[in-house]
Amino acid sequence: MDELRKSFHNDLDDVRSELVHLAAFVTESIPRATNVLLTGDLEGADYIIQSDDEIDARSLDLEERCLQILALQSPVATDLRQIVAALRMISEVERSADLVCNICKAARRIYGHKLDPNLRGIITRMGEQAQQLYIAAIESFVENDAAKAAAIDDMDNYLDGLQKQFVQAIFESHSAGTIDLQVAVQLAVVARFYERIGDHAVNIGERVRYVVTGWLPEHKGAARYRAPTIDDTGELPRPATFETGR
Amino acid sequence: MAALWALLGAALGLGVGAIVFRRSTRSRSLRDAGSAASASAAARASAEVELRADRLQAALDAMPNGVIVADRDGRVVVRNRAADDAGGDSHTEVLVQAAVQHHLRAALRGGERSQTVELYGPPRRVVVVHAQPLGADGAVATIEDVTERSRLDAVRTDFVANISHELKTPIGALAVLAETLIDETDPALVSRLAGKTVSEAHRVAKIIDDLLELSRIELAGDLIVSRCDVGTLVAEASSRNSYAAQQRKVCIMIGEIADGLTINADHAQVASALGNLVDNAVKYSEAGGKVVLTATADSQGVMFSVADRGIGIPARDLDRIFERFYRVDRGRSRGTGGTGLGLSIVRHVASNHGGAVTVESREGEGSTFRLYIPDRAVPPT
Repeated sequence: MDELRKSFHNDLDDVRSELVHLAAFVTESIPRATNVLLTGDLEGADYIIQSDDEIDARSLDLEERCLQILALQSPVATDLRQIVAALRMISEVERSADLVCNICKAARRIYGHKLDPNLRGIITRMGEQAQQLYIAAIESFVENDAAKAAAIDDMDNYLDGLQKQFVQAIFESHSAGTIDLQVAVQLAVVARFYERIGDHAVNIGERVRYVVTGWLPEHKGAARYRAPTIDDTGELPRPATFETGR
Repeated sequence: MAALWALLGAALGLGVGAIVFRRSTRSRSLRDAGSAASASAAARASAEVELRADRLQAALDAMPNGVIVADRDGRVVVRNRAADDAGGDSHTEVLVQAAVQHHLRAALRGGERSQTVELYGPPRRVVVVHAQPLGADGAVATIEDVTERSRLDAVRTDFVANISHELKTPIGALAVLAETLIDETDPALVSRLAGKTVSEAHRVAKIIDDLLELSRIELAGDLIVSRCDVGTLVAEASSRNSYAAQQRKVCIMIGEIADGLTINADHAQVASALGNLVDNAVKYSEAGGKVVLTATADSQGVMFSVADRGIGIPARDLDRIFERFYRVDRGRSRGTGGTGLGLSIVRHVASNHGGAVTVESREGEGSTFRLYIPDRAVPPT
C-alpha cells in the first residue's frame, strides 16, 4: 500500500511541476509579447505564436495524466482536490497562452503604426502588472499559500484600473488624430487581452485557495441561491450587507 | 582526537581547518565515523573518500558556471552552488531547470546538446545550457550566464553601425550638395544649396566637437579640481539651454539650493554634464512642459537631479542610452538634432569624479536623471 501511495505522490508531483513549467512559460511570454507589440517585432510575434502549439500539446498531455490518476488511483480528500484543481488550472494556463498569442496577432495588425509615448507607457505597465499577477499565482501554487493567492485579486484591481485608463488614453489619442480608428480598436482589444490574462491568474489563485481551504468565491453566490427565499417569519430575507468580492 | 585530525590533515596535505569543518553536518558524521572505528584503516579510507568528495564539492561551488551531474537513470547526483542560483527569480528558474532536465535526458541518450535560453525576466538574461554524456555512466550539464557578453556584443556591433551612420550621412550630403553647386547657375538655388551645405557642415562640426570633448573627458587624469559653487553650476546649465527652452515653450525651474553650497570638482566637466542633461530634458519635453533642476548635498557629495514630464524612455532602452551614438529612435530621425553623445559625456564625467549617473523613466510620464558627484579633496597647488 505504501508503494502505491508513493507512486501516487510521485505522479502528483510530476503533474504539479509540469503545471508550474507551463505557467512559467506563460509568465515569460507576457513581457515578450509586450516587447513584440511595442517594437513591431514580427519575428518575435511568429516565435510566440508558434510556441503556442507546444503549450497546447503539453496541456493536453497533462490533462490526460490527471485523468489517468483519477481513474487509476481514485484519490480522496486533499489529493482529489489537488487533481481536480490542476485540471481546472491547466485550462486557465492554456487560455492565457492563447491571449498572449492574440496580443502578438494584434501587434501584426498594427505593424508600422506609431503609438504615443502615453499609450506605450500604459501598455508597458499593463504587461508588467499581468506578469506580476502570474508570478504571484505560480508562487502561491508552489507554496500552497492561500493568503498570497487571495492577494492576487487585489493586484488584479490595479490591472483593471490600468485597462480603463488605457481605453481613455486611446480615445484621447484618436480624437487628437495621432492614431487611426483601426489601430484604436486593436489597442482596445489588446487592453482586454491583458486584463483577461490577469483574470486567469486570479482564477489560478482561487483554485489554490480551494486546494488549501476547500473554499471557492463562488460558494458565496451559491449559498445565496440555495438559501430559502421565505424565512420562518414569512418575509423575504434580505442580506444585511453584500460582501465585496469579484 | 585532535592529533588524529592533524594526522589526517597532514596526510592529505591540507590544513585541518577550512575543508574538514566546512559543513557542520558532514564534519560531525566524519567525526562519529572516526571515533567508532578508532584508527582502523577502513575508517581512514572512508574519511579520505569523504574529504575528497568535500574538496570536489568545494571546487565545484567555487565555479561561476552551474554544473549538474545526473546518473544513468537521470537522477541528479551532483549540483554546485551556481546551478542553484543560475535560474534567477521563481519563474525563470523553473524555465532554466526545465531546459537543463530536457538536455540531460537527451545527453543520456547520447550526443552533446546546447541551447541558448533568452529570458525576458525582468531582469533580462541570456544563459547557455550545455549537456554532454559522461561515458555510459550518466551526463553532465553546465549553465553559463552570458548576459554581459551578449550585451557587449550588441554594443560593439551597434557602435560601428551607428558611428558610420552618424559621420557618413552629413558628409555624403555635403558631397552631393557640392556636386550640385558646381553646375548650378541660378543664384536663388545656389544660395539655398549653399545654406544647406553650411548647416550640414555645422552638423559635422558639432559631432566632431562632441567627440573631442568626450575623448578629453575620457582621460580621467585631466580633472582640474576647484571649489565650485553648486548654485552657479545649476544656473549655468539652465542658462545654456534657456534659448532652446524658450523656442520649445518649456519652462526650466530650479529647486531650492542651500546657500553657499560648494563642491570640489572639475567645474567645466560638471557644467558640461549638467548642460547635456538639461538639453535632453528640454528636447524631449512637450510644449508647455516643465524641467526641474535640483541639487542636494549629503556628507560625501552632491546629488544633481534633472526631471522632466516628457515622452520618457522605453524600458528596453534604459540600460543602453549611455552608450555612444545609441538612439532610442531606431529611425534616427533628425527631429531632435542631437549628436547621440550627450549621455555618454555625462556618464564619463560621473565616472571621472568617482560618482554615478542613474535614470528613472516611464514612457509617457517623463524621465528623471540623477548625477551624483562626490566631493573631491583639492590637490595641493
